[in-house]
Amino acid sequence: MKAIIAATILGIVMMFAGLQMKNKSSVVTLAIVLAFLLLGVNIWDLVATPATAPVGYFNNMLRIDRYALWFSTLMTGVTVLYTLLVGKEIQKVGVHVAEYFALIFFILCGVYILSCYNNMLMLFLGIEILSIPQYILAGSDKKNLKSSEASLKYFLMGAFSTGILLMGITLLYGATGSFNIVAYSFLQSDALNPLALGGVIFVMIALGFKVSAAPMHMWTPDVYDGSPTPFTAYMATVVKASAFFAFIRLFQVSFGSISSQWTVVLSVITAATLLIGNLTAVFQQSVKRMLSYSSIAQAGFMLFAVLAVNAVAWQGIIIYAVAYSIATIGIFTVLMKLKDYTYDGFNGLAKKEPLLAFVTTIFLFSLAGIPLTGGFMAKYYVIQAVMVQNQFLWLVIFGLLMAAISVYYYFRVIIAMYFKEGNAELHAPVTQGEKVLLVITCGLVILIGIFPQLLLSWI
Amino acid sequence: MNILMLVATNTPFNYFPVVLQLVVAVGFVVVMMAATHLLGPKRRTKDKLINFESGIPAIGNARQPMGIKYFLVAILFVLFDVEVIFFYPYAVNFKSLGLEGFYAVLLFVAFFFCGFYYIIKKGALEWED
Amino acid sequence: MPILPLHYMFLSLTLFCIGIMGVLIRRNAIIIFMCVELMLNAVNLLMVAFSKMYVDAGAQVFVFFIMVVAAAEVAVGLAVIVMMYRKVHSVDVNILNRLKH
Repeated sequence: MKAIIAATILGIVMMFAGLQMKNKSSVVTLAIVLAFLLLGVNIWDLVATPATAPVGYFNNMLRIDRYALWFSTLMTGVTVLYTLLVGKEIQKVGVHVAEYFALIFFILCGVYILSCYNNMLMLFLGIEILSIPQYILAGSDKKNLKSSEASLKYFLMGAFSTGILLMGITLLYGATGSFNIVAYSFLQSDALNPLALGGVIFVMIALGFKVSAAPMHMWTPDVYDGSPTPFTAYMATVVKASAFFAFIRLFQVSFGSISSQWTVVLSVITAATLLIGNLTAVFQQSVKRMLSYSSIAQAGFMLFAVLAVNAVAWQGIIIYAVAYSIATIGIFTVLMKLKDYTYDGFNGLAKKEPLLAFVTTIFLFSLAGIPLTGGFMAKYYVIQAVMVQNQFLWLVIFGLLMAAISVYYYFRVIIAMYFKEGNAELHAPVTQGEKVLLVITCGLVILIGIFPQLLLSWI
Repeated sequence: MNILMLVATNTPFNYFPVVLQLVVAVGFVVVMMAATHLLGPKRRTKDKLINFESGIPAIGNARQPMGIKYFLVAILFVLFDVEVIFFYPYAVNFKSLGLEGFYAVLLFVAFFFCGFYYIIKKGALEWED
Repeated sequence: MPILPLHYMFLSLTLFCIGIMGVLIRRNAIIIFMCVELMLNAVNLLMVAFSKMYVDAGAQVFVFFIMVVAAAEVAVGLAVIVMMYRKVHSVDVNILNRLKH
């Protein structure tokens, strides 16, 4: 709760800082300090809240438990890492640097609400607070037509999915007479009201839009490709992860009792997401576009956690969210240094900047799910969650097959870096500080790969 | 209180305040218009007869690209206008919410003014470039 | 004939479907946007009908929130559409395929 208030106030502080401070780099420094402050508030919240008893706020519309606090803290940590790594690039996007950071703080406010909502109203508000700043961030590069297009597309699709979400919420309300998500857990599988079933499907479709699950993924590649790269890095990581957390919270807490009704639909969606994400990523020429398809593919794996209605799934989604976010932010940081976003742009990077090439390799290993990296452990946990359920074995096998395909397009980048001749052109030489940060990020990826329990010790 | 119960206790006399308000509202308009008509100075010039376009001389067709300033002000108006909707539930429950509700609304208005101060400082409401 | 909640449901689902079809078929960004608003208003209508059915004011407060958030979306969305219009002098979404290579 403290974190929600702090995020809002820090966002407003950032807005007004933009009026006073004319120097861009001092704005970035302020943003980094404020992000650390927010992390501090989160940790304070985490320590001050008793481990056993969840706390309700606003007539129990927000219900803050251990999972929610820990997830918010982790996502704030990822955001701190993001501001450290990408802060300099955000300066180059446009003139309103302070406002961009203000919007990122507002997005974080949405993340916190989504992590602890206990009422459909809060789900709706959280998703909107999460989405509306993104429409602006997507179009923040005003000189670039692609950025405006991405913004318009994202906005139209986002508003459309909001309409569908609201219809779902209304139908559920019509069936149960309540907005409280715990009230839905009394729904009975054998005597299910058609209103309730329709509501569940509508909500599933709308959340599928937000997490870019196929066949609701059509906007993702265009939006991620067109948006300024620093903001793509944020959209593909923290925002997506928290949309998933909201997804799993709703479908486990509320609809866990009627899981036999929706798991079949969701398993088909999962399979389609894995298939489309991985197969289309193979044919891309631009690494940025490949990463946006890969984010669809990774969403397919995260859907495993939603599909498995058990406690392992919660652990899986937390590990997956963090491992995937850190690795993706790392890759995007390297990508932003390069002039050419195609595979050829990476040619010969290993000779020119061996360290940069090395950390990129580790990040790609993590995304592909090679052992000893965070990505492997993440995939291990979500697949284990489905295995515990002892259902959908075909889906697990299919997922492993698709993970094998994903190795192909991730390794294409590695091959370009190490084995192809070329002169990878950088915007600017990589400074010592950035190298240290990238090595720390890389260390985090390996740390999660070896000790995944570290991420679970607080819950 | 239940809505149905409210309906049951309805009598024509309950509508008296509404009628009174209607009379006052219409009366105010009539009095004001009559007063300005009688008291205001009368200047009949050629300028007064052309269309009033916010003080800018009318040129050509109306369907032309308009200044982005109009658009900006319109958008800001929509935002600030609709936010007022939250005062309705507060007005209905004014007494039962008590002092705590008052503080909550005060906080809401404070955030509102933050936004207002911001747009003024940003120069979104300046007409002259 | 008394008007039942079911009638409200049919009306608002019809409006909702008109909205969805509009979003899927029309190519003008403004019209698509209007259709999204139509969807939201269909939801508002249904919400109020259910609220009356359950004699619960909570849903009506929800409607207020939908209205306010829709207004915020209008502000952002229209700004985006105007930004786009100033560049390409059109609000047709068919020209938005530059991103597909």
